[in-house]
Amino acid sequence: METVYLIIALAPLVGAIIAGLFGKKIGKTGAHTVTILGVGLSFGLSVWVFVRLVFQGMPTYDGNVYTWMMAGGYSFHIGFLIDHLSALMMLIVTFVSLMVHIYTIGYMAHDEELWPSDSQVRSTAYQRFFSYIALFTFSMLMLVMSNNLLQLFFGWEAVGLVSYLLIGFYMNKESAIYANLKAFIVNRVGDFGFLLGIAALFAYTGSLNYEEIFSQTGKLATATVMLIPGQEWSLPSVVAILLFIGAMGKSAQVPLHVWLPDSMEGPTPISALIHAATMVTAGIFMVTRMSPIYELSTTALSLMLIIGSIGAFFMGLIGVVQNDIKRVIAFSTLSQLGYMTAALGASAYAAGMFHLMTHAFFKALLFLAAGSVIMAMHHEQDIRKMGGLRKYMPITYVTALIGSLALIGFPGTSGFFSKDSIIEAVELSHIPGAHFAAALLILGVFVTALYTFRLFFLVFHGRERMDAHTRAHLHEPPWVVTLPLTLLALATIGAGGVMYPLLFGDFFRSIYVAPDHNVLAELHHHFHGALAFLIDGFLAPPFWLSMAGVLVAWDVTLYRSKLGIHVHSRLGWVRTILQNGYGFDAFNDYVFARGARGLGRLLWKAGDALLIDGLIVNGTARVIGWTADRLRWIQTGYVYHYSFAMIIGLLVLLSWYVLR
Amino acid sequence: MALPLAKQFALMVPELFLLGMICAILVIDVFLKNSQRNVTYWLSQFSLLITGILVLTMNPGERITGFDGAFVSDPFSVLLKLFVVGITIAVFVYSRPYMRDRELFRGEYFVLGLAGVLGMMVLISAHSLLTIYLGLELMSLALYAMVAFQRDSGRASEAAMKYFVLGALASGLLLYGMSILYGLTGSLDITRIAINLAHSPHPEVAVGLAVVFIVSGVAFKLGAVPFHMWIPDVYEGAPTSVTLYMGSVTKIAAFAMVIRLLAEALPSAHIHWGGMLELLIVLSLAVGNVIAIAQTSIKRMLAYSTISHVGFVFMGVFAGTDAGYAAATYYVLVYALMSAGAFGMIALLSRKGFEAENIEDFKGLNQRSPWLAFMMLLIMFSMAGIPPTVGFYAKLVVLQAVVQVDQPWLALYAVIMSVIGAFYYLRVVKFMYFDKVEEVVPVRLKLDAGILMSFNGLALLALGMFPSVLMVYCTAAAGGL
Amino acid sequence: MSYLQFVFYFFSALTILSALGMITVKNPVHAVLFLVFAFFNSAALWITLRAEFLGIVLVLVYVGAVMVLFLFVVMMLDINIAKLREGFVRFLPLGVIVALAMVVELGLILGAKYFQLAGHPQNQSMLPNTEALGNVLYTQYVYPFEIAAVVLLVAIIAAIALTLRRRPDSKYTKPEQQIAIERNQRVRIVKMSAEGKSK
Repeated sequence: METVYLIIALAPLVGAIIAGLFGKKIGKTGAHTVTILGVGLSFGLSVWVFVRLVFQGMPTYDGNVYTWMMAGGYSFHIGFLIDHLSALMMLIVTFVSLMVHIYTIGYMAHDEELWPSDSQVRSTAYQRFFSYIALFTFSMLMLVMSNNLLQLFFGWEAVGLVSYLLIGFYMNKESAIYANLKAFIVNRVGDFGFLLGIAALFAYTGSLNYEEIFSQTGKLATATVMLIPGQEWSLPSVVAILLFIGAMGKSAQVPLHVWLPDSMEGPTPISALIHAATMVTAGIFMVTRMSPIYELSTTALSLMLIIGSIGAFFMGLIGVVQNDIKRVIAFSTLSQLGYMTAALGASAYAAGMFHLMTHAFFKALLFLAAGSVIMAMHHEQDIRKMGGLRKYMPITYVTALIGSLALIGFPGTSGFFSKDSIIEAVELSHIPGAHFAAALLILGVFVTALYTFRLFFLVFHGRERMDAHTRAHLHEPPWVVTLPLTLLALATIGAGGVMYPLLFGDFFRSIYVAPDHNVLAELHHHFHGALAFLIDGFLAPPFWLSMAGVLVAWDVTLYRSKLGIHVHSRLGWVRTILQNGYGFDAFNDYVFARGARGLGRLLWKAGDALLIDGLIVNGTARVIGWTADRLRWIQTGYVYHYSFAMIIGLLVLLSWYVLR
Repeated sequence: MALPLAKQFALMVPELFLLGMICAILVIDVFLKNSQRNVTYWLSQFSLLITGILVLTMNPGERITGFDGAFVSDPFSVLLKLFVVGITIAVFVYSRPYMRDRELFRGEYFVLGLAGVLGMMVLISAHSLLTIYLGLELMSLALYAMVAFQRDSGRASEAAMKYFVLGALASGLLLYGMSILYGLTGSLDITRIAINLAHSPHPEVAVGLAVVFIVSGVAFKLGAVPFHMWIPDVYEGAPTSVTLYMGSVTKIAAFAMVIRLLAEALPSAHIHWGGMLELLIVLSLAVGNVIAIAQTSIKRMLAYSTISHVGFVFMGVFAGTDAGYAAATYYVLVYALMSAGAFGMIALLSRKGFEAENIEDFKGLNQRSPWLAFMMLLIMFSMAGIPPTVGFYAKLVVLQAVVQVDQPWLALYAVIMSVIGAFYYLRVVKFMYFDKVEEVVPVRLKLDAGILMSFNGLALLALGMFPSVLMVYCTAAAGGL
Repeated sequence: MSYLQFVFYFFSALTILSALGMITVKNPVHAVLFLVFAFFNSAALWITLRAEFLGIVLVLVYVGAVMVLFLFVVMMLDINIAKLREGFVRFLPLGVIVALAMVVELGLILGAKYFQLAGHPQNQSMLPNTEALGNVLYTQYVYPFEIAAVVLLVAIIAAIALTLRRRPDSKYTKPEQQIAIERNQRVRIVKMSAEGKSK
């Protein structure tokens, strides 16, 4: 089986290398063929592994494949841990990735037109893009299949790198460069905490392997650490929070969420793959994987609950005022990630993972549908200039509707099952902050429905607001685009069916939940079959809230479209706050960016230029250069000088020995 | 205890095969016309390849001594021999066009080269003072002749004379130390010397005296300050193809001698030679790195860089632990690889009537051949010890070994010195990438040399990312000493 | 002081003196002769150690063959000894100081404490030295012996490779061409009209 796992991970890498290094030679067709073959192989094998593992009872695999290096008596391994959790993630990652790969053929077909004609990278941009997304798939697989924190960290950084490359894919666009820099820097902040967390775990357990770490949780539970003299802190809390800081960066939680909306500068397929379906869920996955540690710290759980629910509500609110189709969906991603984090905080890891899965499907679907719209609109992304697309793009319309319904948790769709179970789990939780969180999550449902259907109505219904030229060219995209849409729509509808085994069965055996946190077990108590859950769903407040949201959306966009302007003039300050994203960006720019630059300039002028450069570096260099010039004259070229030097050397050694 | 004679000979089948091939090539070469000299070349490569395979297949996997302890086959010797043979193959490939352009493409070059390899193999497997000395002389003799190979070049003759005279002096010192050691222990066998020294009371001072001379002798062969003066002159004077040979593989053999003499024969005298090595290390790192900065000739610059690398190799030995020996082994193998690449690059960039021996000649290499420039970049980065190339890891393990024996200051000093050293390596990179040349002379590259150079450069990168591939063997080798 | 000790010190003193003489005399021929003398004395020392074979071989090989060849070379080359010795006097004090320091330090270490003449047993074997060597040379020491042979082989190759060359201006005959010559290459018959009457 080890070979199979290796193939799963490496096949996309091989595709990426071929497409990346030999892109010019193999051409466009070659590039997408080879990467799709690689990812397709991974997907096929992942399905096979999943089936063997889940239905045929193959035991969990945990083993090291290769010893990367040995240092200080500890061996760093490359290894795989394949249990239900990672098998599910592998399935999600390879499936969505495969869909996105196929979709990209259509989306990027005429990509050259977006590059300036004198650009050197223009001719290979298509191949480069395929190489990147295949490389991303490899990195993500390494991340989820790892059996130790080091490899997880490798995958973590690698997906970050690919994300950086892809956000800045249009490298001649200044806003893209700004966005990828921002994403990278914000993620560094998270990684810093993450790395510290890993280091702390390693320091206390002496291992990076999950299995070995979890076997020591008993010892860890009572361990304390003193970071500030006189302040004893619980070690699990410190570790859990540090690791969560990493997750905050990657999974875009408040306040490290600022990079995600900007990341929409990249081509739409990667928004679907990386910034909605897979990479941003790495943090959720990591926390779930480390659940035995998190269960030791109520503080960390509480923190996650609060941060997650704040994100879920307030980020959704921003989505309401956005006019860029992709930014609306991006803010919705932030909000949904908040839901997942809140689920983790309530110890309902399985619910979080479930939502991660359904979200991967419907959010990828929404993004790809948005991409399809953008293609049809000739790269126009402003929803105010769209409208009435329903009749031009029926497939896109239907799939987008399915995605939207799933997003708002309409009963019957997969989003309903996963989101409702999160809300109920949080309601049942006793962790401090749970009530506050539950309230925000329920309000979030209204907001979700509002922005989702505002977007939906503005794009597909109502007056056709585009110019005549665009309208003349509106048509449904080719099959490579609609096929992934359809498949993802099917997955979106069907994924709800696995709720029972996922949440209440023993599917996630590797997740550990402390008995007094186990809200899902309690939920299980109230659970009387999916149908009852469905019917309950129609009666529960979240449904009515979302219906209200849809209604309001319909009201402001279609029925009384003038109302928007009215609200705009009356509540302009609210709108300004929302449009500025509560001022996070401004704050960061002003305090961190400018502050850091100011500090940097000070250190540069005073410390670097004057002291280090002037005195130490240049001074040293000058002294060394001078010495070197003098010393080279010792090398006279006379053999008797040389032999004399040897004798002197001998004499010195001898004297050292005699006089010692 | 003593193996049957046939088995003893079976241990040295690779050496015997190589010797037979040397004689055969010597005879065959006489009957070849000048235009058929390629036959000699391919025969030599074939002999080396088979020798390498024999080393692998005859590997006993454990430590076996034969011929009354004069010959030893252990993981250490197998590892080093494989590298010597492998890198020599590369050296021959790199030097072929160079030699041909200068009408040096003669059979004797290969015969002498192979004889040198035989000497190195003898030296690596030597386990008695007698065989150590004989192996050393066999290797050195071949080298003296190879340095002087370009008979019409005054510089080469001068270099050969210097090398010969100073080498004789160093051999004398070494021999004197050995004779004292023999006088004290009554044995030539390394194993018995070590046992005798450890178990029976010996006058400390006399042991120390032997150590002084032995350290001086080996320091010369490796080129540690103050026994280094020959290195820049000889490296510069010799034809590049010979510099390439002596700069890479011979260091491995000389290192084997250091390990056999200091680590195996004189472990009980570590307090003596440890201190002496420290002195050599401090001087070598300083002199090597500082003077290299002032060089304009890249061959001289690399010669000084050799001196500083020797300092690092000695640091591993200085630690005196298994980890230290493993680290030093790793370092010297990696160094041989880097050095073969660097000098090989000089040989490949030279053409008829033009020696690419000044650092300036690397100007704008990126314009002329981006791939070669990238390979040179990898080599320079590795020499400077910049991650993720293997040079970084090699330095790291050595420093780690030194820190483990509570010598953090030495490690710190070494780090500072290598930072200074990074300057001149990066200067080459700067010349290659940031300086432009007016007329772009394209690099004509033979396919075999190109492939091998790519392999050489990429190996430095790959080993840097997966250092344990080689480290495992080095650890096993040091453990089997 | 026993007789043997007296002999030892006598020959040692002569060895050292002749070695000093070798590096100080002005005439290179004299220097070679001093070296020969030093070899003789060393041979005598060996014989006092009952290593008569080595002693004899030293005289036969080094004195008889090597040094004589050396002497020829030195006599044939026109060496400007005065130029070579430039700076000898200038560097002499420095050299003497270093040499003295070395001697003093070696003396400090070695002293009479550890290396005594009586302390080391002589060759106790009943076999003559020659036979004893013969017994081990091809058995116990066959490996080093063979390497020594290879060293000599390489030395020969090296010497030939470095010196054998065809000078364009060297005047030598090729026997095979001489033998293979034909009559008409040697003799050219030129037909001339006889001196006739003028027109």
